[in-house]
Amino acid sequence: MGPNEIEVKMGEGVVARAPHVVSCVGLGSCVVAILYDVRRRIGGLAHIMLPESDSRNRHATPYRYADTAIATLLEGMKSRGAIPEDMVAKMVGGARMFSSCSHSSAGIGEQNAMSIKHILNTEGIPLVGEDTGGHHGREIEFHLVSGKLIVRAIGKRDREI
Amino acid sequence: MNGKELLSEERLDFVREMMSIGAGNAATALRQLLQCEVNLSIPKLTISPAPQLPALLGDASLAVSCVKMDMVGDVRGEILFLVPDVQKENLIHLVERAMPGPKKSKLETDVSVLVEIGNILAGVYLTAIHDFCKLNIYHTVPTLAIDMLQSLMDEPLAALSRESQVVLLVETDFMLKEAPIKIFFLLLASESDFKKLGDSIERARMAYGSERD
Repeated sequence: MGPNEIEVKMGEGVVARAPHVVSCVGLGSCVVAILYDVRRRIGGLAHIMLPESDSRNRHATPYRYADTAIATLLEGMKSRGAIPEDMVAKMVGGARMFSSCSHSSAGIGEQNAMSIKHILNTEGIPLVGEDTGGHHGREIEFHLVSGKLIVRAIGKRDREI
Repeated sequence: MNGKELLSEERLDFVREMMSIGAGNAATALRQLLQCEVNLSIPKLTISPAPQLPALLGDASLAVSCVKMDMVGDVRGEILFLVPDVQKENLIHLVERAMPGPKKSKLETDVSVLVEIGNILAGVYLTAIHDFCKLNIYHTVPTLAIDMLQSLMDEPLAALSRESQVVLLVETDFMLKEAPIKIFFLLLASESDFKKLGDSIERARMAYGSERD
């Protein structure tokens, strides 16, 4: 892994500037939410596991939960000089890996994606790219220089969003 | 909390013995099913906090076949069987040879073979736990997914992440007609459920020890 590459694991997050490249491997029901200040090329990425926090655990592991993760990213980006009006958002993941279990209700993956959309909407950050749902795992690579987000999956062509 | 605090070295030895019997039963089941020689390695056992699991399994983006089921009864949690995808073909080939049936699509056969093997293995491992610990543990109908290892772990880990969770990982190499197949057996449970299992193991260990003396 090069000096500009950062890997973000489940339940973790990062705020970084160009020319960093941030990656996540093996996304299943987890959703990666990305905020990007297109003018200052400051980006934040959270590898989110669950749609919402409860009061017990939100402080220790904010990036695990959609609500606290987005709030933490916004805070971190603003403190580095990013402006919310110049931010766009992208998100990837939220699959249902085991198709036959509890198919009547929304799985964790769908709930994660819905929760993030709702929060972005409230914050007024436009969602400009999305690859969510389905029954397959994903890997991503986010390039802070260009704002490009590459999505990989087994047996599928790489996708840029 | 680390693995050592969850289970002492003595308890871990006992679990290893229990799982060896489970793996032995699994080998017998596979031998009958596949009608071929099945040998197995001594299971390698690891207990750790669940967030460390991906690191224990190695390459997060490795393609694996995974059969998952819920564990219900005295101890609740999830059970997963993982077979690296490159070795899956060996297994399927052997099953097809042993049980020639009506031609189905390749995918349909693969799925049913893997689910059936997961089902059998879960049964024998749980029987081993049941016999030793006098715990009633059952499993639900298995489901299969084939994808990147880490992506398959997401949902079980997320579902359990609201409380501290523990994973028991048993790694066994089966030799089926010279073809090695590595099978990971994973038991995921909350810390409180895992403690229940640990306490029963301790009781069983004491009883077992006094029987032997």
